[in-house]
Amino acid sequence: MVGFFSIAPVAVVYLQRLHLRQFRNYAEQWVEFVAPKTILVGDNAQGKSNLLEAVELLATLRSHRTSRDGDLVRSAQDCAQITGWIDRAAGPLELSLSLRRVGRRTLVRSGETLRRQLDGLGSLNAVEFSSLDLDLVRGGPEQRRRWLDGLVMQLEPIYAHLLRQYERVLRQRNALLRDWAKQRRQGQALSDRAAELAIWDAQLAATGTRLIRRRARAIARLAPLASRWHGAISGRVETLTLTYAPNVAIAPDVWQLPALEEARAIEATLLAQIRDQAEIEQYQGTSLVGPHRDEVTLAVDDAPAKQYGSQGQQRTLVLALKLAELCAIEAVVGEPPLLLLDDVLAELDLARQNQLLGAIADRFQTIVTTTHLGAFDARWLDSAQVLTVRSGEIVA
Amino acid sequence: MLYAAQRRRCAVYTRPLARLIEQLQRLPGIGPKSAQRLALYLLNRPEAEIQTLAQALLDAKQQVGHCQVCYHLSAEPVCEVCSNPNRDQQTICVVADSRDLIAIERTREYRGRYHVLGGVISPMDGIGPESLTIQPLVQRVHREKTHEVILAIGPSIEGETTTLYLSQLLKPFTKVTRIAFGLPVGGELEYADEVTLAKALEGRREVE
Ligand SMILES: [Zn+2]
Repeated sequence: MVGFFSIAPVAVVYLQRLHLRQFRNYAEQWVEFVAPKTILVGDNAQGKSNLLEAVELLATLRSHRTSRDGDLVRSAQDCAQITGWIDRAAGPLELSLSLRRVGRRTLVRSGETLRRQLDGLGSLNAVEFSSLDLDLVRGGPEQRRRWLDGLVMQLEPIYAHLLRQYERVLRQRNALLRDWAKQRRQGQALSDRAAELAIWDAQLAATGTRLIRRRARAIARLAPLASRWHGAISGRVETLTLTYAPNVAIAPDVWQLPALEEARAIEATLLAQIRDQAEIEQYQGTSLVGPHRDEVTLAVDDAPAKQYGSQGQQRTLVLALKLAELCAIEAVVGEPPLLLLDDVLAELDLARQNQLLGAIADRFQTIVTTTHLGAFDARWLDSAQVLTVRSGEIVA
Repeated sequence: MLYAAQRRRCAVYTRPLARLIEQLQRLPGIGPKSAQRLALYLLNRPEAEIQTLAQALLDAKQQVGHCQVCYHLSAEPVCEVCSNPNRDQQTICVVADSRDLIAIERTREYRGRYHVLGGVISPMDGIGPESLTIQPLVQRVHREKTHEVILAIGPSIEGETTTLYLSQLLKPFTKVTRIAFGLPVGGELEYADEVTLAKALEGRREVE
């Protein structure tokens, strides 16, 4: 791993070329990345963020702006395509994602159509930082769960599959509970579904345990990095504590057990708490226990971050999280991820900007969007590739 | 959009032809283009051939039902597998549907009998244990004094749930085994969850 604050001498351009076709407001666009830093400059709503979104989709197969593929296809078109040429230690590869207004996506890696698209995860890693990320501090637990899930997927791509399995069990179990509660309300004779429910309980505990262990593992990696970065940015006056707070109370000594026993202990705890809540669940008709109700707590000097400080201080916190994410992915994957900065630089004060720019240095291929170049440090501008975006085209 | 497309086709095709295309399009895996191609092909065949096809459809629908014993598709009250005296009467292989039975038969490895559930447990689709042929299976195991029940249901979440449900139900009465499926995704052992890996190891078979 590259040292914490050290600066790697050689910067690698991992994403070398990008081609967009009928994507958002781009009809057809080639982008060549020739420097580790690329600045996309242009007025609002010209397509700067769309370009970052395309890179995010290639890396994570999801967009933080929409969950509907139809939104990603240029108006009056049926299909959008994003293709990236990536050069990594494992060798060069070409990744192409087709998104359709109607119908399923296709993902092609170096000429091979992936039957399971989740297998394409990990071909490219990226961390995105946009103004929406302030919701990590201000928003509800679901925002932080979504963020954590996105991170774990990049650290351990199989997590995407495990998450899907859990969500499937949850939906099935909720359907059963809902059905049961409805029968009860309508005063119908209750069919005995206890045996069936017991199996779904076991499935929820088994698939849920896989999520809990991986989330805990990711936070354990991230937490020390986040507090170090936060200390560095805030001048070491305040301490950030990042904690994984699973919905089921797990005894602290469980985390010290060998892997298989740890898994068994968590599964048993989960199952016991499901049993405890059985009556309430059957009455309410929904699952109340499990990692779908997990939380990640952020505290600064032991005070909950939500109530903490100014907008600037909350930005510092999110910035520390993002830098920690970068380092965690770099340590696990072995190569630094791309950093995508969507319009956030202008929102940071000069001191924090310099912290960020110093941290990035030449270590991470970085793509930045901005409305004006004035906000940038001159040394940065000199080494960066500047592209001007105007109504879905790169004009210079 | 679909409505507009239908109207357009009605304007182009004479009514009986449009109706044929409409019907073909309802078949699984047949889109508008294939439906049109099939319809035009059929129109060009001799009438006798069309008669034979239509009769075959009707015969299949009217004559094929479910085997009284195992619920496999069968024209006779008891299917060929169940009525074959050379097959092991003491082993029942449980599958979700007739397609799975046919797949296992093709391997020619299995000499016992079957039981077709008619689906898997899926509350989202309103399918509980009572909508499957689980009760008849339990009765059968009692009646036939079955030695072994092999569960051969796919490894989806719903398949797994059905497998677990059946093994709990049947274990008090007979030996229950399940066929081993490979590791779920990716196949990389290092990424496989310990629980998954342990399960895969439990389900291992001796290499012949
Ligand atoms: Zn039969």
